[in-house]
Amino acid sequence: MRASLRRVLIAIAILLAIAPVLTQDAFYQRIAALVVLAAISASAWNVIGGYAGQVSFGHSVYFGIGGYAALLAFTKLGLPPIAGAPLGILASFVLSAIVGLPSFRLRGHYFSMATIAIAALAGLLVTNWGYAGGAIGLMGPATPRSPADLLFRSPLPYYAIFLVVLAILLVLTWWMERSRMGFYLRAIGSGERAAASLGVPIRRYKLYALFISGAFTALAGSLYAVMIGFIDPDSGFGILVSVNMVVMAALGGAGTLFGPLVGAIILVPLEETTNALLGGGGTGAAYVAYGVIIMLIARFSPGGLAQFLPRIAARKSPRAA
Amino acid sequence: MSITRRGILAVPALAALPAMAEAAAPVRIGCIEPLTGNAGSAGQSIKQGITLVLDIINTPHPDLAPLPLAATSGLPRLGGAKVEVIWADNQGSPAVGQSDALRLITQDHVVALCGAYQSSITLTASAVAERYGIPFVAGESVAANLTQRGYKWFFRTTPYGPDFGKLYLDFLAYVAATGLAVGKIAIVHENTDYGTSVAGSITEAAKARGRTIAQTISYNANGTDVSPQVLALKNGKPDVVIFVSYTSDSILYMKTFHTLGYRPPIVIGDDSGFSDPAFPKAVGNLAQGALNRSAFVPGKPDSITYKINALFKQETGRDLDDTTARAMQGFFVLCDAINRAGATAPDAIRAALAATDLPASRLMTGYKGVKFDSSGQNTLAYSLVIQLQGAAYVPVWPLAEATAKLALPFKGWT
Repeated sequence: MRASLRRVLIAIAILLAIAPVLTQDAFYQRIAALVVLAAISASAWNVIGGYAGQVSFGHSVYFGIGGYAALLAFTKLGLPPIAGAPLGILASFVLSAIVGLPSFRLRGHYFSMATIAIAALAGLLVTNWGYAGGAIGLMGPATPRSPADLLFRSPLPYYAIFLVVLAILLVLTWWMERSRMGFYLRAIGSGERAAASLGVPIRRYKLYALFISGAFTALAGSLYAVMIGFIDPDSGFGILVSVNMVVMAALGGAGTLFGPLVGAIILVPLEETTNALLGGGGTGAAYVAYGVIIMLIARFSPGGLAQFLPRIAARKSPRAA
Repeated sequence: MSITRRGILAVPALAALPAMAEAAAPVRIGCIEPLTGNAGSAGQSIKQGITLVLDIINTPHPDLAPLPLAATSGLPRLGGAKVEVIWADNQGSPAVGQSDALRLITQDHVVALCGAYQSSITLTASAVAERYGIPFVAGESVAANLTQRGYKWFFRTTPYGPDFGKLYLDFLAYVAATGLAVGKIAIVHENTDYGTSVAGSITEAAKARGRTIAQTISYNANGTDVSPQVLALKNGKPDVVIFVSYTSDSILYMKTFHTLGYRPPIVIGDDSGFSDPAFPKAVGNLAQGALNRSAFVPGKPDSITYKINALFKQETGRDLDDTTARAMQGFFVLCDAINRAGATAPDAIRAALAATDLPASRLMTGYKGVKFDSSGQNTLAYSLVIQLQGAAYVPVWPLAEATAKLALPFKGWT
């Protein structure tokens, strides 16, 4: 059973790799690139939110830091935006240490609430920070000065870059899943007090998880800013940025390796194509679909599709077990 | 079923217009607007406005003859081809606006784009148009940086930040000549994108003339109390207060002025909140004499603007507002250029746009004309100063366009 599930997931991964080459249509190629980008941040969220069960609704703070780092590197230092990505990752480490130590004392909903507050605070600070463009935001290079600016007409190069980053993140997660850290995190996720009583160094491992999670979310933010060429407090630090990560991971299966990717494969095209098909007519239809999906998951499969699919498979072949 | 019915209807229509029997393929234009989200009402209003322009262009409107393409049906130089708009909802997100632009260009094969209301989205969407070499006409976004990018395919018909700053200072210079003091200017602006950028532009314009802004107050438009800000103004005693505000906050300011019994000598509201139909309704009796800017005024009953406003009112039940009118004007300019190009090749349309030279008499807005500089900015864009007198705004400056006399100082309430 588990082997066949793995085969399905590998097939999805392969499909994902060749999808944009199969279609010559730039719009679908862009959707594919956006799927992978969303999968990066959702998978990054998954490390702390899924495996360790610390549901953060404030991950936009990392996304925003990464995005701003990229465009600050361009506007203030004249560097290619991607050169700001390491700075964003560095800043994410500092932030994780500052934020993680006090907020990890909180559990469950209280932790989630603290993360919302931190992201809202960061958004306000940036809105009033004139140096970083304040409420107006920052613009990337208007026209490519060199190939390093990563400004392409075709979405395919973005897709390729994002895919490499996603692959690194997934391999890292896969390795972590099997290592001592993975067991520790799952133990923390299913019961902090129990894990502590068994000698798991809870706060240290939560902090490690936050370091990994925050760094990759910041990288996703930088990649977003490079591709879109613009960031403002809302697109960087807005609450929807955080919510999207959580919903994608939850739909696919939080705490599973491919869950966030599956969620992104379903939700991003849904949003983009309903907007395209309905155009001006069915305003907000995508949000209705979003809401229905969230309700269905919560009611029938709180563990996400990763939990739901095997269950169906098991029901179809009851004797196979 | 519906196809058959449409076919039956089409036969007499074609018979009646033999010249257009082999009607040319429709010309598709992509419009990216905020049809949902925070700015949804503005986007929907723009959609209604552009739909009206489509009707004016695609069917004969001889009574609106001075407007480009009004008297004829479709685009005459393209064999009477009809203009068609593909709508895209930008959802208030710069990333979505960019997806929209890409989709409209690569899937719907539009010949040009227009939009996108929020300056941040115009910025990202037009970057895609630039890479694909498709003309983009911005009729309503005012951020200064849009035309500072060295783009080849970007054109903006609307006046932008610096124009507004210039307008207010020109106007204040006129007021000073009548003997009123205008030395101390205060700017009160909401603290997001719109307020910050316009306040910045006004400050720059003042600096360029060697004047300084005595007081700048930034506030959160979602707040429920503005008495601290009003008290700060009361202490500062400015001669002129310029508001860059949204709707509910502008209403709150006028109410607080009344509550605290404070009347600045001159009150200017920068469009937006002061132009919302809700503003005169809610505080018309407290804001008598408030000044505002607008590129559109209905004017006298036989004028084109009056007729367009009547058509719009017939469709929607409300008067045409400044933003919608500017968006419609941009769309007119784009269609006129496509017609003059006589082709739908992007290069031809771009060349025609660059060569645009429309006089004020052929516009529906108060611009002095439409003529683009090398950055794509309309150099003749202009606005009027209007004043709330009674239940409605009336144009008071420049004097050539005025239908009522400027009444100062700010009266507020009686």
